[in-house]
Amino acid sequence: MNNTTQPKRSDEPVWWALFSAGGVCFAVVVPGAILALALLPAFGGISADNLSYPRISALLHDALWGLAGLAFIGSVICLPLFHAAHRIHHGLHDLKLGGGLLSKVLCYGSAAALSLLAIYLVS
Amino acid sequence: MNLKKPGSSKPEPGSYQPVMPRNWWLQHRYFQIYMLREATVLPLLFFIGCLLYGLYCLSLGETQWQHWLAFMAQPWVVLLNLLAFSASLFHAKTFFELFPRVMPLAPPGLMIAGQWLATLLVATGLVLLLGGWL
Repeated sequence: MNNTTQPKRSDEPVWWALFSAGGVCFAVVVPGAILALALLPAFGGISADNLSYPRISALLHDALWGLAGLAFIGSVICLPLFHAAHRIHHGLHDLKLGGGLLSKVLCYGSAAALSLLAIYLVS
Repeated sequence: MNLKKPGSSKPEPGSYQPVMPRNWWLQHRYFQIYMLREATVLPLLFFIGCLLYGLYCLSLGETQWQHWLAFMAQPWVVLLNLLAFSASLFHAKTFFELFPRVMPLAPPGLMIAGQWLATLLVATGLVLLLGGWL
């Protein structure tokens, strides 16, 4: 009898932690971001002058030594991406379309790739 | 004796085999709302896509940035972002109601109100900052 092998440590806590963190951002930060960047500019509440190229560039790259932009990208793009990947991975399982290793790799893999792209674009 | 290794056996003839149709969640309102909440990430992905496109345009320069602003003002984009906004609020409602049940630190009503206040403060801050009032 060989019962000495260690049980394999699950990687699920990592995905659930990212899902929760992304869920908090989706609930607390994303509504304001949609309002300020999409809805109010479209309905005239925020003028185009305030969204000018130099102003947005400066806010994104220079405010708080670039930390403000990075925090914005992290809380509105990266973490919500992992939240969405988790919901889609589990939703596919609910629809009997996936939920296996392939959908897991595709969902979390694209969330990671798009997060890296976002960070690359602000750096 | 009918001892079977789990997962490796063929079903016994006449044994109960529950069938799960693909549309199982349509048959009860509770599961319909569950699936609707799962679906809130689809318009969210659209908004994130808009932002990634915006970051890309910003990296190309002023002309492309103007293109992005025009893109964001197109009616179909505004409509989908309106959907994303509603989805984020619906997600927030379910998420905020869950927190006091997972971690009861204070009366549930107080915790839910506190979380909505956080959303409101962040939204106010972002609007004031991007609108040039801050």
